[in-house]
Amino acid sequence: MQQVVNRRKTILDIIFLLFLLVLSACATSSRPHHKTSEIFINDDFVIVKATTKDTLSSLASEYLNDPSKGWVIAEFNHIKTLTSGQELSIPLFPFNKGGLEPGGFQTVPILAYYSFSKKKPSKISITQDDFEAQMKYLKENGYHVITLNQLLGFFDYQEQIPEKSVAITFDDGWDSVYDIAFPILKKYGFPATIFIYTDFIGGGKAMSWKQIKELSEAGFDIQCQTKTHRNLTVLRKKESFEEYFKSLEMEISYPKELIKTKLNKECECLAYPYGITNNLVIAMLKKHGYRAAFTVDKESNPFFIDKYKINRSAIYGKYDIEKFKKRLSVFQNMELK
Amino acid sequence: MKRLCNIYLLLFVLFIFTGCVGVREFLGDVTDKIEEKNPQKVPEGTKILLASPYLEKALGYQKKDELQTALFFMQIAGTLNPDSTRIPEKIASLKSTIDYKARRHFTKGLKFYEKRRFKDARRQFLTTLRYSPNHKEALDYLKNRLHSKEYLNYKVEEKDTLKDISIKFYKDPSKDFLIAYFNNLKTGNELVSGTILELPVLESKFNRFPIDIRGELMKAEDLLIEKRCQEALDIAEKILEYDHLNKKASDLKNSAYYQMGIELSGQKKYSEAIKMFKKVTPEYQGVKEAIQQDINKELIKAKNFLKEKQYEQVFTVAEKILDYDKSNKAAEDLINTTFCQQGKDLIIQKNYTQALNVLNRANPQYDCVKKTISDVYKAQKKQAEVHYLNGVKHFLNEELQSAIKEWEKTLALNPEHKKAKENINNALSLLEKLAKVK
Repeated sequence: MQQVVNRRKTILDIIFLLFLLVLSACATSSRPHHKTSEIFINDDFVIVKATTKDTLSSLASEYLNDPSKGWVIAEFNHIKTLTSGQELSIPLFPFNKGGLEPGGFQTVPILAYYSFSKKKPSKISITQDDFEAQMKYLKENGYHVITLNQLLGFFDYQEQIPEKSVAITFDDGWDSVYDIAFPILKKYGFPATIFIYTDFIGGGKAMSWKQIKELSEAGFDIQCQTKTHRNLTVLRKKESFEEYFKSLEMEISYPKELIKTKLNKECECLAYPYGITNNLVIAMLKKHGYRAAFTVDKESNPFFIDKYKINRSAIYGKYDIEKFKKRLSVFQNMELK
Repeated sequence: MKRLCNIYLLLFVLFIFTGCVGVREFLGDVTDKIEEKNPQKVPEGTKILLASPYLEKALGYQKKDELQTALFFMQIAGTLNPDSTRIPEKIASLKSTIDYKARRHFTKGLKFYEKRRFKDARRQFLTTLRYSPNHKEALDYLKNRLHSKEYLNYKVEEKDTLKDISIKFYKDPSKDFLIAYFNNLKTGNELVSGTILELPVLESKFNRFPIDIRGELMKAEDLLIEKRCQEALDIAEKILEYDHLNKKASDLKNSAYYQMGIELSGQKKYSEAIKMFKKVTPEYQGVKEAIQQDINKELIKAKNFLKEKQYEQVFTVAEKILDYDKSNKAAEDLINTTFCQQGKDLIIQKNYTQALNVLNRANPQYDCVKKTISDVYKAQKKQAEVHYLNGVKHFLNEELQSAIKEWEKTLALNPEHKKAKENINNALSLLEKLAKVK
């Protein structure tokens, strides 16, 4: 009998213990939160004193709702790293959308790549090692590889981007982009945009739609480079103006529809085959709802560039790292006062 | 019991340990929130300490001409120390400096833009935007107006068709489909006057003509020498359809029409010749004289028709002359003289009504018209009297019916003839009495 009573007491103890555990758990905060020493906050800015647990990314996540925007805090406060007790001002609006300074303005280099090879370079084919070296250089030298959306936000004078921003693009849709470039970009966490000409896709040395879909799902932007990659600015032999016009319409409208069907994504940008364009092509792009288009003129781009004549620097196979560096101009000197 | 005490003790420690974390966090949150909502509750001395580094930063940036950053830090200082009267003054002064500098650079930019010094204009607009990042006009110049346009605007004029606009703009009527495409129109639709159309600007290589203009011009010149004027004219007009400003084609067209006029004149087809000369531009050498000569020849022809009393031919020729030359006095005189002549003829034929009809078509200001109309009325009255007297003669001869007929003729020509009216009534009553007696 005593044994039964003891066992009942033990059971009651265990229940009580569990109840207390639940109660104590409830009393703790549900979020694993450390609170920054916040001094002041209003609609335009926050002033914080960084704690040991803070990072630029955590502060950006907390105040700018985007952990990738640590650079905003770093650039505004002219710091590279965070130290405990540091007082920081965080603007809560795009502070310098055009990257304008008394001594000039920001420019964004856009790199245009074509294909890749394991070992042997050619004019349009870059070796795996060279590409790796170029990406490593960007990473180690504080360049921020930005997305197409960030780039367009900058050109629309809507979004501020890091001071050392650069964008990466690929033309045509070569399979080596998937085999060689993609793993390297993934390693460095760099986004990129791929301009495909749709008649090429699924062919001999081109990517398949399956591979393109995979790249798209991995966050790469898939955009158009026409249907057949014809030169959009010249009439073919014996082609009448009316035939040329109809061909232009096809080159511009068809890939947009196909990409929508295959990837369920809107194609808003176009890279001109051979990088060349004319007024009629631009007028037609606008009519078909394209937001921007890219040439291969090597200059970097200020925010006020004509969005239908955005420059890109073609990176060729025989470029050494020094030549590559020269393509990374992020500021144009000009006295603005 | 001892074991139970140990367990309770352990549980208590555990509770305190875990619970304290939550309590601390909870209390911390509340404190933060209070601070967020009531920043001004920070003690006075602390506020000044907090605000002053930001004020210093602001002044530093102001010295470097980074006025937006200076303003940002000054506003922080002002918010941290709301009791300060100095900071709002500084903020107001800084804002006014920013406005002034932005306005000054924008005005400079506009002046450069007007002078087509676009690089200088761009630098000024960028400076404007650096001082005043939301300056919409500066942004518009930088993003739109300083870029080349792929469209030009065209305001539709009355009676414009897409083909007309296409000829004007592209020198090619077949590019009307392009205008329709970019303006969501159908090629057959009528255009509304005043509508603004967007016309894509084409490179000159796309404005090339579907015909070899130079070769065609040479061909037309040869045809003209061979006096195959109509063929030369067809070529000139085809070229002008594509290039309406082509001077050589225009000269060729004038020469062709002129030569065709001369040929017709030689064949005494003066009216058709004038028609051809009229298609030549009035400035073309010799055309005015050629037209005048042929008009004179036509007038002579018309006068001859008048002499021969071929009045309808006179009218045809004279009216044609007036078609070519609305103010030709000789043709107008001829027409009115012809009406008078026709009127006189009808008076002689005692066809007074027709005579008046003809004369009513003439210009009443003409003396001959006035006189002939008066002659018609006089002749009418005279003729009425003749009928009246005839009636009297019949009456005296007791031919009452004939007398009535004559007086009725009198009244037809002169409805106011009182005696004729009275005599008719008398004759009728006599006839009535006679009928009763019988």
